[in-house]
This record gives sequence, C-alpha cells and structure tokens, in this order.
Amino acid sequence: MFFRGLALLLSLYIPVLAAAGVCEEEAQWTRSDSQRHFMVLAGRTDVFYERSGPAFVMLIKNGGEHSADDVEIGAFGMYATSGNQPAFGAVPASEYEGFLHERGNQASEVMLRVEISGPQYEREVKILRSWERRVRERALLYPDIALDNILLVKQATEELNRCSNTLTPYELDWGLEDEISEHNAALRIPFEYFKELRRLNADKHVPDSAVPAALLTSASPVPRTTRRD
Amino acid sequence: MNRRELFTSAGGDACVQATQTCGGSQLIPNVALRTQDDVPVKFYDDLVKGKQVLINMMYANCEGFCPLVTSRLVEVHRALAHRMGRDLFMYSITLKPEEDGPAALKDFAEMHGALLPGWTFLTGDPFDIETLRFALFRHNHIKFDLDLNGHAGNLRIINDSIHRWLNVTPMASKATVLQHISWADPPKPLEQRLKDNRALQEQIGREVAQFGYRKVI
Repeated sequence: MFFRGLALLLSLYIPVLAAAGVCEEEAQWTRSDSQRHFMVLAGRTDVFYERSGPAFVMLIKNGGEHSADDVEIGAFGMYATSGNQPAFGAVPASEYEGFLHERGNQASEVMLRVEISGPQYEREVKILRSWERRVRERALLYPDIALDNILLVKQATEELNRCSNTLTPYELDWGLEDEISEHNAALRIPFEYFKELRRLNADKHVPDSAVPAALLTSASPVPRTTRRD
Repeated sequence: MNRRELFTSAGGDACVQATQTCGGSQLIPNVALRTQDDVPVKFYDDLVKGKQVLINMMYANCEGFCPLVTSRLVEVHRALAHRMGRDLFMYSITLKPEEDGPAALKDFAEMHGALLPGWTFLTGDPFDIETLRFALFRHNHIKFDLDLNGHAGNLRIINDSIHRWLNVTPMASKATVLQHISWADPPKPLEQRLKDNRALQEQIGREVAQFGYRKVI
C-alpha cells in the first residue's frame, strides 16, 4: 500500500517537474551567433474558397552539428497543390521558399519571423513532427483539414509562450472577444490570426537585414534522413 | 550552404480536403492501450469489435466531474450487472496518460468501487489517447474539443454489431442513462417486438379508459 501511495504521489508530481525542467532548460540557454533559430508564420489569401489560402509554420535553424553553413529548414501546415486545392502536410520547398524573404506589405500576404531559443525550436519541431505523424498514419483529429490546421498553428504559437512571453498573444479561443473566429471561415482563420500576431508583435519581427545571409540564399534541399520520430 | 529538410515527406504525404481519408472520419481507431492490470490491448479489435460498449474519459487526479461521473457509472453497472462482462462492457479511458499509468488507474478504480466485472480502465500513448478522444468525443469545435473536462462529462454508447452510436451525459438520471443504453441494445426478434407492442397498446388502452389520456411514455 505504501509503495502504491508513493507511485501515485510520483505520478502526480512527475509532469509538474517535467514542465519545470523544460522552462529551466529554456532559461539556461544562451544565444550564440554561430547557431540561430527562427520561426516564421506565413500565409496568403485568395487562393482557395472564402478568400482563404495557404498558412503554415516554418522553422529554420542555421549552424548545425557539422558545419556553420548547415541550414535545417521545414514548414508544416496548409498549402496549395498544383491544382490549387488545399492540402495539409509538410509544405514543399517551392511553397515555403517564397517566405524566406520579406515580401513587402502586400495585403494578401502575411509573414512574421521571430528568433527563438534552441529549446523552443526543439519543442516546435516536436509539435510539427507529431502532426507529420498524424498525416502519415492518417490519424488527423478532424474530418476537415481546415480545423486541423487551426489546431496546429494554435499549438505552435502558444508553445512559444510556455515559459516566457516570446510573442504578445492573441487569444484564439472562440470567446466573446475573439473577432477572428467569429468573422472568418475556418480555412481563413490562420491567415487572420497570423496577421493579428504580426500587428501585435511588429517589434519582434526579424527583418531580412538581421538574418544571416546564408538563410536567405535559396539552394536545393538535401533530404533529411538522420532524425526520426 | 548545406541545406537539410526537416520533413522528408514535404509535398508528398499530405491530406487533401476533398478526399477525407486522413482520419477524423475514421470511426474507431485501433490503438494500442494498457489496462489497469497492465495488460496490452488493441482498442477496436479486443474491446469494441462486435460488442455493445459504454465509454467515458476521466483522469485519476480529477476532483470535479470524474468522481461524480464514476459514482453514477457504478450505479449503472449495478443496474446492469447481469449483462456486464457478458454482452455489455464499460471502458474508462484516461485523459491524462502522462500522469495515469495502470497503477494510478487501478487505485482510482479501487477508491471509487469501480473494480467490477466487465469494467476496464485504460491508458496508453498520449498521441493515441488524443486520437481516440477526438474520434469518440469531438464536437468539431476547437474550443470545446480542447477542454478536457468537457470530454469527461460524456458517456459514449456504441453497439458495434449494429453500427449504432449514442451519447448521454452520465449526470442525467440513472433512468435516462439506462434508457439510452437500451436504445443501443441488439434488436429483439420480431415475435418479441410484436408481443411487447401488444402489451404496450393494452396498457395505453387501459390508461385512456381510466384517465382519459395516455400516461405511459
């Protein structure tokens, strides 16, 4: 009985300790110029119905384990197929490359690029990989991929603020003050959400001039085979 | 520059809206779970296939809804004890698999007098539990679906052999819960249904003669 009680007590405290460990790791992390991490929220309108379009989360890391020239890059979310149909999954390079650079202030596009820490980057990778697994195993949570994409962008952006306020948040919660979910079709919500986050976090957006030049250079991607789920 | 793709599946393995073949519409995932006795099971193949089942979600450290729901389910189990473990089964799945291992679930069941025949408590990989939660209890509304406690307040009734799904809140009266369960019972033979119908008609006739209106529902 004593051991069962002890096991119960441990099972209650282990998640709390694990969460504390995550934030401790983030607090202790120090930025280095040789390795930088970015998260980009990118979207376009007027591609699909209801004036909606692609909206995805892109992760970029430069300075890998082997060389300072290494760049790790990937994006996940909603993109347009060759027939302009909405598709949910790992975004092809041809789609996300357009958002490696700033594209001016076009009303039909949004881009917010923030610099994040190494631990934040790893947590974001974990979230995107979990969605990649859902696509691979045909285990999405909704029959409508527009809802899955909302869940993905919500998880990815809220995870940034788990330990500290990296972004000024917008509460996408279908509450009384949430105008975005009230007035937009599901497929368009991520675009409007990114637009609002960009407005709220204009000072945190990293301009092209502050990004290592290597990250802005387009090159043929090498398939990544070293990391698995 | 050496560029590496984070996702090997980029542009290949994707879900296109029109096809709806990516889950969500998949009814009962056959995920691997563990019982309160740490026995591995496949959710659909071992627990649901061809059976009539009652499924709810809970977590051991839940102080609000879960103990109330569990005590109501104990009452339901008592009322249907003659069927439990024979042609009717109950499953309580944890909403917090990171916290609730088999031992924690066994303690919870013991504490609430729920270690009963035909009633199994289940835990598993968080990814699989989330898949199961959405497949069985989602409202297709993100706000409600992210509220774990909201999902703790539902009882899903499935009769897989006749593909019938029902939902009832376990906090309704015991009679209401039992009535919902009976709606998923296997269909009775025609003769039995005709006999039951005749008896009901006679009862209605008697009530109309006595009171002037029908009392039985």
